[in-house]
Amino acid sequence: MQALPPPPPAVTAPAPDRSASTVDEVRVAAALTDARVMVDSSFRGASIVLYGAVFNPSDTPADVVVVVRGPDAPVRLVKKTRNMGVWLNSRPVLFEGAPGFYMTASTRPLGDIAEFGQLRRLGVGLDHLRINAPEESRTVTRYGVRDVVVSRLGEDYLDWRRAVIRLREAAALYNGDPDGVEFVDEGLFRAEVELPTVAPTGRYFAEVWLFQEGEPVSVSNLTLTVEKVGLERDIYEFAHRRPWSYGILCVVLAAFTGWGASRVFRRG
Amino acid sequence: MDIYLPIAEVSVNWPLLVLLGAAVGFVSGLFGIGGGFLMAPILIFLGIPPSVAVASQASHVVASSTSGVISYAGQKAIDFRIGAVMAGGGVLGALLGVELFRYLRLLGQADLAVALSYLLFLGAIGVLMLYESLGQILRRVRGEVVPHRERRRPLWLYGLPLRMRFPRSGLYISAIPPFALGTFAGVLSAIMGVGGGFILVPAMLYILRMKAGVVVGTSLFQIIVTTAMTTILQAGRNQTVDIVLSTILLLGGVVGAQYGARLSGRFRAEELRAVLGLIVLLVGIQMGLELFVRPSELFAFAPGAVD
Repeated sequence: MQALPPPPPAVTAPAPDRSASTVDEVRVAAALTDARVMVDSSFRGASIVLYGAVFNPSDTPADVVVVVRGPDAPVRLVKKTRNMGVWLNSRPVLFEGAPGFYMTASTRPLGDIAEFGQLRRLGVGLDHLRINAPEESRTVTRYGVRDVVVSRLGEDYLDWRRAVIRLREAAALYNGDPDGVEFVDEGLFRAEVELPTVAPTGRYFAEVWLFQEGEPVSVSNLTLTVEKVGLERDIYEFAHRRPWSYGILCVVLAAFTGWGASRVFRRG
Repeated sequence: MDIYLPIAEVSVNWPLLVLLGAAVGFVSGLFGIGGGFLMAPILIFLGIPPSVAVASQASHVVASSTSGVISYAGQKAIDFRIGAVMAGGGVLGALLGVELFRYLRLLGQADLAVALSYLLFLGAIGVLMLYESLGQILRRVRGEVVPHRERRRPLWLYGLPLRMRFPRSGLYISAIPPFALGTFAGVLSAIMGVGGGFILVPAMLYILRMKAGVVVGTSLFQIIVTTAMTTILQAGRNQTVDIVLSTILLLGGVVGAQYGARLSGRFRAEELRAVLGLIVLLVGIQMGLELFVRPSELFAFAPGAVD
């Protein structure tokens, strides 16, 4: 005996119309494999995979740009100059707006994806970070134009700015990978976020941009937290919240170790 | 085998650090010195931020000096009276030195101060030690009689007020010179992260003319007080003491120091001094070299803004 076909539903609803937005809109969606990075005693940096999907019903090819930005960490930079045969540090210059971590990954070199002005406006790419030294700048009237911002660093200004990026790149804190976004399947991509050991703790913001013909068409925002956990966190907090007790503890521990060693070795 | 240091915020290979601690401890036991002047440059070379290296190893000096002081105290080879005067100076020096270091860090000149102090003090002491000990070795080889040194203290030591009796050192002098010496060692301990034994011992021997038997023990006693103060101040003012780093260094250091001390009896004092003088001189030159060689990277980050 055969099973009866299921009874017809009491109400038959028409299939929903596909809304205009899902039909035409080009969209990007992304997620991280790990939204929390824990820094403990075995921390040797972390590698997080960002994966996502591109919905692109149109025929225009789309480019994906992933930007990950760590918490802002102003830096003080010195330049070594030669004075009477000796290399000395200059007065330090404070640069603001430099994130403690910054990486971009894209499907093509950023310059091919969008125009210079567009990237500058969005702050996408190492060359477009808004790093400057506000204390060194002043406004002057030049050629009859009022409020022109100039830097006391003068001609070297770009060298200083570039040095911030170069030093952070050397520490693996800044990185721009022109083929860091890899399509694993139709519309499905992945990118790796490599955090070095020196990566600062705090909240990180990831933006996934979708560009079509040089224009940003969609963006997806994600957050990532890097935090110290366990003993490392306790020690760090102890050292910063109660620095004097911490210092006394260090000394007591050291003196005790020295005393213990002399006891052990006198017997031996 | 890597361990993440919570204050230095870098990850290092810990067996390497234990070995380093043991090696420096061995050298310090062998020559009867704190070994701080060797440790700081190596830690910096390993990638630990200089401010953390200098501050954390001060507590390493506390430990190695403690075990030294205990054995000298057993032999009654410490003059606690003059030691207390010098330690008083050391505490003042540490206070001044930590504030000076903090100020220099903000000016971005801490590297310069560290490099210059290493070059000047280690260079000078190294040359003096080498000269004196090589002369002694040469005379012994030639079979000459060591000329008798005049055991007279500089006269100005007697002209100063606040005279005190230090029976164990055989001294009746003003308290100002030992206090000033302690202050100077305290400043150096904050800037260079050293105990200052390499300055204290010759000064106590040749300027104050203390009895030779109590010099090393007393200098170690003063070093403990000064470096303990430096550690607390660096932790309190600059938050640059990494307890994990200093503990790892300690573990190797105390063991190495004991073996070094045992071995030291097998060598002649002037030969040991000659080797130590050479090491001191080389470290001084190595640290000072950066002032004269064109750096490959002209720009560098100065600490201070991130904290």
